[in-house]
Amino acid sequence: MKSLGTGLLLLLFASSPAIALPPDSIGHIQTLKGTASIQRGDRNLRPSVGAAVFCGDLVRTGKDGAMGIVLTDDTTLSLGPDSRLVLKEYAFDPKEGKFALVARLFKGTFVYLSGLIGKLAPSSIRMEIPDATIAVRGTKLLISVGE
Amino acid sequence: MKTVTSCLPAAVLMLSLLAGCSPKHLVILVPDPDLKVGKAEVTTAGGTQLLEKPGDMTTVSSGSSPPSPVIQADPAFIAATFADALAIEPLPSATFILYFPTGSTNLTPESASRIADILDAVLRRPAISVRISGHCDAVGSYQLNDRLARDRAWAIRNLLVQKGVNPDIITVTSHGKGNPLVPTVDGVAEPRNRRVEVIVR
Repeated sequence: MKSLGTGLLLLLFASSPAIALPPDSIGHIQTLKGTASIQRGDRNLRPSVGAAVFCGDLVRTGKDGAMGIVLTDDTTLSLGPDSRLVLKEYAFDPKEGKFALVARLFKGTFVYLSGLIGKLAPSSIRMEIPDATIAVRGTKLLISVGE
Repeated sequence: MKTVTSCLPAAVLMLSLLAGCSPKHLVILVPDPDLKVGKAEVTTAGGTQLLEKPGDMTTVSSGSSPPSPVIQADPAFIAATFADALAIEPLPSATFILYFPTGSTNLTPESASRIADILDAVLRRPAISVRISGHCDAVGSYQLNDRLARDRAWAIRNLLVQKGVNPDIITVTSHGKGNPLVPTVDGVAEPRNRRVEVIVR
């Protein structure tokens, strides 16, 4: 691999599906299968691998859908089929000591794996489900939310 | 209120299901990729339940009743219920830590030789995100350290772009002295904290 010429490297990198991540994004979509949508304000967007996610995004997967999201602190949130969540609060600013991660899980199946916020400020992480809240002190959780 | 952890057999859960208090939601604590297990507290208006061992599961049937006593989740049940969510889970990131001499934005010789490994990881994945964060030790003012950490991160960013990495997938941040690898009191020089972390996804 290391012996590949720079020209080939450029070509390979150029073919990656990524788009430039805006500075205020809180993460990106890493994996995607089947139908899914992101509601951002009053816009309904079709997600793609590499696309940015923002605070307040309502993320849905269809009956054949699934999605893996990576936040900027390396937290991963994965959604199974027919699932819905909102990224409610997020702050990752170690320099200023500001941390928050609050997601509301409305319905579906989820896998949570903690990132740096889990190491630096575990008490700032909360998953909200319709009848309960989950204080996450690390590191990996499976959550199923019924209707 | 904390309920004492108990290991009810699955049959008891089945009985409670048949009795009509059907759980709507469930939370299971599992080991992470490093086989470490954290903790989670599930709280309703009726009470709190603590998950602390691998496979610990509690269920929630209403907001007013407490979460169920903890039982061990059946691996077959986990596999069936979470098959799709687990299959779509992003692979672990490749993380690289590069070190710098005091006050410098030039890599130590050992770290300079790791740039090739980073390029290799970006190429192999193929990466859609490269996060670069700059860090420093606790010597010097907040402002000085923030600038130094940022300059270190940008030096690595420019190096990777020069070697062909798509700048659109790179994000650069400074953690100043706020995220030390080795915590120290303020003012202490610690070579392991003078670093840039590169996370390739």
